[in-house]
Amino acid sequence: MSDTVKTDPTGITIEIVYRGIFQKTLAQRICRSVVLAARKRGYTGTAFGRYGDSPERNGVPAKYFAVVAVNDLELEASMAKYEPSVVDIAVAVDDTLVKGVESWAWYGRQPIWKPVHEGGAVLVTSEKTPDEVLAQTDTAERPYLMGIVPGLASFAGLWVFKDDHTDYRVLGALAKIVPQWVRIEDVKTLIQEQTKDGSAVASAQDGYERTQLRQVKVGEGTSGHEVLQFDKPGWTTMRPGVIVDARKPGERNPYYKKYGARTLRPVVNFDTCIKCTMCWLDCPDECFEVTPEGHYEVVYEACIGCGICAQVCPVKDCIVMVDELKFEDNDDKWQMWKTDHDAYNRWFEQKSGVSADPKKVALASSRAENAAPGANPTTAGGED
Amino acid sequence: MALEVREKQPSDVETEQLATGCEAIAEAIRLADVDVMAAYPIRPYDGVMQAAAKLIANGKMDVEYIVADGEHSQFEIVKHACAVGSRVFVGSSGVGWFYAMEAIAVTAGLRLPVVAICGNRALDDPGAFGCEHNDALAVRDLGWLLCWAETAQESLDFALTAWRVGEDKRVSLPVAIGLDGAFLTHSQQIVKIPTQSAVNSFLPKFDLGDRLLHPDNPITIAPQVDQDWLMEIRMQNDQAMRKALEVIAEAHADFKRLFGRGGENPYLDEYMTDDAEVVFIGQGTLSLPMKVAIRKLRKEGHKVGLVRLKWFRPFATADVVKSLSRFKAVGVIDRDYSFGSPYYGGVLYNEIRSAMYSVEKRPTIVGFIAALGGREIEQPMAREMFDKLTAAASGGLKSGDITHWIGVRN
Amino acid sequence: MAVETHGTGTLPQIKGVKDVPYDELFVSGHRTCQGCESALVMRHMVKASGPRTIVLGSTGCMYVANTTYYTTPWVVPWMHTQLGASGSAALGTAAGLKVLMRKGKIKDEKINVIAFCGDGGGADMGIGAISATLTHKDYNSLILLYDNESYANTDIQLSSQTPYGAVTTFSPSGSAKRLMHTRWKKNMPGMMAAGHPESRYIAAGCAAYAVDLMNKIRKALELGGPTFVHTLDPCPKGWDYHPQYSQELGHLAVETGIWPLYEVIDGVCNLTGPTRQIAEGRKKRKPVYEYLKRQGRFAHFADEDVEHFQATVDKMWTEWLIPGVIPFTVAQKDQTLLRIEKRPLHEETKPA
Repeated sequence: MSDTVKTDPTGITIEIVYRGIFQKTLAQRICRSVVLAARKRGYTGTAFGRYGDSPERNGVPAKYFAVVAVNDLELEASMAKYEPSVVDIAVAVDDTLVKGVESWAWYGRQPIWKPVHEGGAVLVTSEKTPDEVLAQTDTAERPYLMGIVPGLASFAGLWVFKDDHTDYRVLGALAKIVPQWVRIEDVKTLIQEQTKDGSAVASAQDGYERTQLRQVKVGEGTSGHEVLQFDKPGWTTMRPGVIVDARKPGERNPYYKKYGARTLRPVVNFDTCIKCTMCWLDCPDECFEVTPEGHYEVVYEACIGCGICAQVCPVKDCIVMVDELKFEDNDDKWQMWKTDHDAYNRWFEQKSGVSADPKKVALASSRAENAAPGANPTTAGGED
Repeated sequence: MALEVREKQPSDVETEQLATGCEAIAEAIRLADVDVMAAYPIRPYDGVMQAAAKLIANGKMDVEYIVADGEHSQFEIVKHACAVGSRVFVGSSGVGWFYAMEAIAVTAGLRLPVVAICGNRALDDPGAFGCEHNDALAVRDLGWLLCWAETAQESLDFALTAWRVGEDKRVSLPVAIGLDGAFLTHSQQIVKIPTQSAVNSFLPKFDLGDRLLHPDNPITIAPQVDQDWLMEIRMQNDQAMRKALEVIAEAHADFKRLFGRGGENPYLDEYMTDDAEVVFIGQGTLSLPMKVAIRKLRKEGHKVGLVRLKWFRPFATADVVKSLSRFKAVGVIDRDYSFGSPYYGGVLYNEIRSAMYSVEKRPTIVGFIAALGGREIEQPMAREMFDKLTAAASGGLKSGDITHWIGVRN
Repeated sequence: MAVETHGTGTLPQIKGVKDVPYDELFVSGHRTCQGCESALVMRHMVKASGPRTIVLGSTGCMYVANTTYYTTPWVVPWMHTQLGASGSAALGTAAGLKVLMRKGKIKDEKINVIAFCGDGGGADMGIGAISATLTHKDYNSLILLYDNESYANTDIQLSSQTPYGAVTTFSPSGSAKRLMHTRWKKNMPGMMAAGHPESRYIAAGCAAYAVDLMNKIRKALELGGPTFVHTLDPCPKGWDYHPQYSQELGHLAVETGIWPLYEVIDGVCNLTGPTRQIAEGRKKRKPVYEYLKRQGRFAHFADEDVEHFQATVDKMWTEWLIPGVIPFTVAQKDQTLLRIEKRPLHEETKPA
């Protein structure tokens, strides 16, 4: 099987699936560069964000598109569109996005490969192996090419762009799999023109060389993810007066679960918890349930991974934010702690990399300890 | 419909008053047991607010009367009072109406049956107080019902009808009543004030059912929508507006039965049209000088008549077409303008023209822009329009494809 | 887990975090940013008010992000209103309920009416309508202004509540102009307090002090008449910081003295929380730099910008008639005349 993607000879459509706000600038830069690089050989193109995503929200998956066409006439098929229904390549610039894309209410949870045509490609920026990433991707319904672009998720910031060369590496990776549309020479020339920075050019070459490719066959992936799909009613059954039923007390919104927005999830050490209420109290998304014993457990179907709970918790390592790709399900965990205490603590330690033994932890001297920049990714401006 | 008994009513007999259109509507507010009204001063509509204030101060009616800080707030206040189940009333004129336009648009989107009068006034700039219809006409695409009154009596009658039709569950849309500035807002006429019991038979209680905003009925009203939903919501509004034609006809029949008034047709009045060869059509009080002119022309042997359109929205296309198809020529009198429109015609002109498009043997349609800025329709102007209309009918004037501005100094 | 139900009558003051009611009347599943403090304010707002509440939400993040048709995160009845209409929505709803109860058309009972607005909709476009409503002492309502210091929903544009020098899409920092926005934040809660003596309750709060905020909301609803609460909400998207620091930034805003916490109850001004401690001299104000440096929207600040910011906050604390509340100074000669004993606040009110 080929290590390149076959496309329609008249043009190519690429979507960047990204974390809203954090990666907005990154996604725009990649798409614009695809079009501008293609321009060097006389092609034309368009770049646009999916309007339905705006206004973007921190963490909520969003999409940006780059379309290259051989001429203006062919380009028309991609103009005046909210979003292309079929793409050649989907690029996830955060590997946790392979667990599914849910962008707004009634959207459902869509597999990362959903709009990719048969024989298309899914590129993912990750430090993990293709098999590790595939293990968290929905079972393939069509064969596609998976490519892992080396690197962590780039949280580039809103006002201050932290340049870690992710966009250059992604461009290099694209050049590897669709050289007919993204020529590595054009990419390098463009980057040189824009940045005058040899290391940026080298990063493109790096992406071109080090992107690992893996053909994915039908049936490969995981079937463990929740199916979240909805049929929309029509005007005859929609309540008149633009009215919807309120939520019932104790309910959470079933039409928009939003857990797909997180890249990290909190794990809780119930042994060291001092039941101060702060995590429950300060969660903007009401993601904690109060247990009969007065602990606070995370409802993983609702948690969007903001990290406030970990920050406000006064006990060191009582709440630890962990890479979302380490988890296969959204099951709540307090019951496990209650019925099999040791198994839960082993689970906690294995996921968090931190000891669960209360003797080995102490109250944090100040909240600032948990706020150490190295502990969590920050946007630019988080510290000096 | 159950008879409502209220304490301390005046004796339940029909009375007569010498009242302006605004004052007549104040009586309608009293009879309808309006719950909340919001006032803001602008001429010429606010006579209704002044009259209502007097009624409240003298204990004649119990209405929550709020003086707002501007027209936008005014219309927002009653919209929200309506959502919690209040029967409401509001109004404005000219640029004040436009200041409220955001609230006006969303009220229709929300399907809330606010009843408003528009005391028709020319739009600024320059400032002018005289009668023009463009203010009220601005709602024509939004989902508001819109009608024009001819007399103070009809003003009161339309107000009662407005609550009846707007609040009907099959419609549930806001209703605007055009009252020509000065001619109707400020001129006193003999008005029959109906009895409370008759009004109670005509006007049921306002009941939002499961759309009521109240802690016993947990709902969210108007969440943000996107491209997947809005068209379906608009469809619902379209269907409601279509239904409104039927509901207006029902209300008209009921009104006639209870009060003995309302004319033959719910949507339009015909005057001397039986054997007419040419007719004029227009809205509001311009009908009065036109009827005077028509009687004079008839004495001279001319076969001419008048159709007065009562309801502009919903536009009773079938009824209008059926009526106007009988004539050789139709002169549309617009007390409004629509700069740059097809044939530079007024708003009503292009609506009539469009409505008549599918008729096999179409009458010649001529557009007249007349009586803007509060100018009267004087008899010589009516005569001029007649001459132009008949010339068009006999082919002497180039078809309908010219709009004539009447009575303008060069 | 048992869900407690509220009584419909009084809303007693919450003694501490353990007394915070469990009822969630604004639930998970809304499209707000990670770390959105305005969403937390919404949650606390209706937690404090209980289920016998009608909420009117004006256009903004708390409308567009929270409610997406054909669903909702609200348990209590909720209705949209226009950007500048929160005051009118409160007034119309309260007046409608009042008259319907008086006429016996609906049951006579206490129903909380809360209309919320953002800083753009409240302090800019809708300030006239809010002001009008605060003069109508016969109608009970709470207007809650959630202030994330920008028109956030339209992707961050400056409002009258945006701090001096902050970057927004209408005030980017460029080579020709380092600062495009040089207007100081308008004193909204102070203005509402000073201008509407018939409003029984005006307050400034912050979700970083959740119990204080909930108690302010309850007090407003208990006292009745038209009331106003203004919260400062750190916003990861607009202020450009990692969402996990939202609570911390709320604390810093208050501890630097930039955002004083207070309430005015029946004309009596009362400072609360760390603001009180600062005024009493028990706590030193932290330098504003500790707050500014954490946010990308100030990353372009030069030393002189920080100094100006600090100096203005200092002035607020050392020269204003009531620090953070009333910005008048009084000439020496008038201090006796006006019965104002103008002593400097404790030395410690200068930043540490």
